[in-house]
Amino acid sequence: MVRFGIEFVPREPYWKIVFYVIQAERGGFSNLWVTDHFNNRNVYVTLTAAAIHTSKITLGPGVTNPYMVNPVFTAQAIATLNELAPGRCVLGLGAGDKTTLETVGVQMEKPLAAVHEAVDIFRKIISGESVAYRGEVFKTAGARFLFKPRANIAVYVGAQGPKMLELAGRIGDGVLINACHPKDVEYAVNCVKEGVRQAGKKLDEVDVAAYTSFSVHEDLKKATKAAVPVVSFIVAGSPSVLLERHGIDVKKAEEIREALKANDWGRAFSGVVPEMIEAFSVCGTPDTCIERISQLLKSGITQFVVGSPIGPNVREAINLISAKIIPHFQS
Amino acid sequence: MDYGKLVDLVSSDKRGALSSKLADVVLLSKNDEKMPSELANTILRLWQLGTMGSESGLIALLEAAVLLEPVKTADVFTELGLSELAVQIKEASPKT
Repeated sequence: MVRFGIEFVPREPYWKIVFYVIQAERGGFSNLWVTDHFNNRNVYVTLTAAAIHTSKITLGPGVTNPYMVNPVFTAQAIATLNELAPGRCVLGLGAGDKTTLETVGVQMEKPLAAVHEAVDIFRKIISGESVAYRGEVFKTAGARFLFKPRANIAVYVGAQGPKMLELAGRIGDGVLINACHPKDVEYAVNCVKEGVRQAGKKLDEVDVAAYTSFSVHEDLKKATKAAVPVVSFIVAGSPSVLLERHGIDVKKAEEIREALKANDWGRAFSGVVPEMIEAFSVCGTPDTCIERISQLLKSGITQFVVGSPIGPNVREAINLISAKIIPHFQS
Repeated sequence: MDYGKLVDLVSSDKRGALSSKLADVVLLSKNDEKMPSELANTILRLWQLGTMGSESGLIALLEAAVLLEPVKTADVFTELGLSELAVQIKEASPKT
C-alpha cells in the first residue's frame, strides 16, 4: 500500500510548519520531509520542533546536500535527532541546487561522486565506525563520534537525472524522485530499477517516492492558481529535453526564466500555461489528484510526497487529503 | 483584554467554527514576528492534544489572532454573528 509523505519549506516559522505536521500525522501521513536551503530557516531546528510535537511520523531532511554540510555533520544532526525521535529518523540527501550553491560560491563538482561518498561516510560514522576515507570529493582521517548513535538510519537519495537515479537505486534505502508526470516517473523508476539490479537487490527493498509539486482544492481554479508560482520555478530550472518531452515551447520557458531573474513575478507567472501545470504538478480537485496518483502508482512508486504548495490553504488542503485522498488508497 | 471572559460568551455551537477560522487567521498571517514563542508553543501543545476547540485552546488562538491580525479577528466574530464581541476586540486591540 502506498504511503503518503508531506514536504515543508522552512521559509515559514517553525510553529506554522509544526501545526501542519501535527495535522498531517493525525490525518494519515507517514513521512515528513523538510527542505534544506541556507536561505530558509534551519532544517534540523524545524525537524526537532516537529519531532517534539509528534509521535509516529517518520522525519528527515528532504533533501540536504553534501556541499553545504559535510556528511559528518549531517550524520551528527541525524543521530541526535534520532535520540529525540527514536526509530523515526531518515536522511534525504541529494546533490543540491546548483543556482543556490553558486550564490555562496560553492561549485557542484562531481555530484555523483559527492553523493555516493557522502552516503558512504554517513553510514560508516553513524554505525559507530572510525572513518578513514579517501574519496574523490571527501576525505576523512579517522573521524568518529564520541557518543554511540542509536541505530542505523535509512538513506533516501534525491535524484532527477538518469545517472543519479541509477546511483540512488544502487545505494539508497529509498529514492526521492523529483517528478510529477507519469511519463517522467515511469522513466525515473526504470533508471532506479537498473541501479537496483546492479546492486543485486530487489525493487521492493527500496522505498521509491515521487516527490511532487502538489495543489488540491475543491475548486480547480483555486488549486491551479496556487500551483502556478512553483511550476514557474520548475519550468525555469528544467532542461530543454524535459520540456520538449512534454511538448512545452522552450522559448516560453526561456521567457519565464528571464522574468524570474528580473524578479518580474507577474510576467513569470502569466507565462505558465496549462501544459506546464500538467507536466510539473499534481494539481486539481481531490478526484483529479486521486486519478493522477493512481497513474503514478502504476510505475511502481511506494511513497507519494505531497510537496509545495500543497494547496491554496495548507490547513484545508491537508484536511482534504486526509479525508478524501489517503482513504481512497487505503481502502 | 480578558480572553477567557470573551470566550465564555461564545456559545458552544459556534466554538468549532471559531477555532477553525481563528487558526486560519493565525496561520495565514504575514505578521509572524508578532507571535510570542511561548504562546506559539502553547498552541502547538494544545493542538497536539486535540484540544484546540476547548476553552483553553480558544483562548490561546484568540490571543494569537488578536496580536497578529486584530482587524481580521474582529471580522471573524462578525461573520459568526458575534458583533458585540467583535466591537470589544476592535476597541481593545493593539493599535498598529
